[in-house]
Amino acid sequence: MDTQIELVYEDIKGKNNAKLVRFIGDLDATNVESILDKVCNLFNEGFLNIVADFKKLRYVNSTGLGILLHFSKTAREKNGSFRIANVNENVYEIIEIIGATSLLDIYDEVDEAVAAL
Amino acid sequence: MAQPRISVSQSDIVPQITILKFEGDFDTASISRVSGGLRQALEHNPAFLVAEMSEVLSISSAVLGELMGGRKAMVERGGHLVIAGLCLEIKSKLTLMGAHKVFKFFNDVRSAINAYKWEYEGRAEDLCLSFPPVLKFVPLVRQMTSRLAKQKGYSGRDSFRIETIVDEICNNAVEHRRTGSPDNVELSVRIDRKKVEIRVVNESDPEKLRMLKEIMKPDDTAPEKRPAPTADQKRGRGLALVKMLSTRFDVEFSEKGTSVHATKLREE
Repeated sequence: MDTQIELVYEDIKGKNNAKLVRFIGDLDATNVESILDKVCNLFNEGFLNIVADFKKLRYVNSTGLGILLHFSKTAREKNGSFRIANVNENVYEIIEIIGATSLLDIYDEVDEAVAAL
Repeated sequence: MAQPRISVSQSDIVPQITILKFEGDFDTASISRVSGGLRQALEHNPAFLVAEMSEVLSISSAVLGELMGGRKAMVERGGHLVIAGLCLEIKSKLTLMGAHKVFKFFNDVRSAINAYKWEYEGRAEDLCLSFPPVLKFVPLVRQMTSRLAKQKGYSGRDSFRIETIVDEICNNAVEHRRTGSPDNVELSVRIDRKKVEIRVVNESDPEKLRMLKEIMKPDDTAPEKRPAPTADQKRGRGLALVKMLSTRFDVEFSEKGTSVHATKLREE
């Protein structure tokens, strides 16, 4: 059985090409492929600006971080954005150790990330 | 009302532990009996005093106060007084009275003795797991290790780091196994109050060993001058992350396979 992770999608008022995606659970090597498919589908459907709410994302490993960087790069290539908010301190530490804080758009709160769209 | 009785004995397993066995109803009138028992126990000069209460039917607040006095005397001598074996009802009552903030409760004497060995003798505990080289087993293994660290008093942050180390090493062992190898991945975790040692052994793909050896080369470059990761790079950061999270990290290569060993000191 893969690790449990759930994505919950919400529209962002006044932003037709944006989606709020709430990550719930653990992002690791067992589920990166399915998350990759789901988020890439959003890009393909024209949602080029994604705000990822990590409030309930408990865990990310290096493989999970790899796809977050991929989302960020893909969004930029499409003139969009992949913004992250509410990162817990343990997950933030992993991002920091890998040296990826400058490669990801990280915000304290979802509202701030949405306002920056 | 059952007559209160107290007996004092030395633990057969650890001589530094004295066991004070309580039986019956301990109302206010039994205070002198309790203080007498405590006095007798303290004469043994124990490092650890266990109040065994599995046959206690009731405890008054005055008796609880007397026990607190006994605990204070133990602490002043550099020891501890803990309570073991309480039934749920009395335990709840004592908790309502705030006793859980003063005493450590254990299910039985054996658990209390194990806690003593852990705390004062620096005893380590071992967890050994063998699992098929399939990714889906790794989350269970890493979460189990993290829970063990938490149970042993490691902070949430330390437990998370330990979880990450186990996850990355095990993922690496599964992904870089020799093609078609039926051999399980062997994980052993040794934990004591000060550190966790993690060892993962597997049969590696000889081609992928080269990459592993490359990662293991000492890197004298200052952290700020090291190349930043690129967004194109989806993989290959795992062991570098382990290296950063661990206090010590090494890999042994042999004909039989690869043995990755990480030590993480307790920080918080």
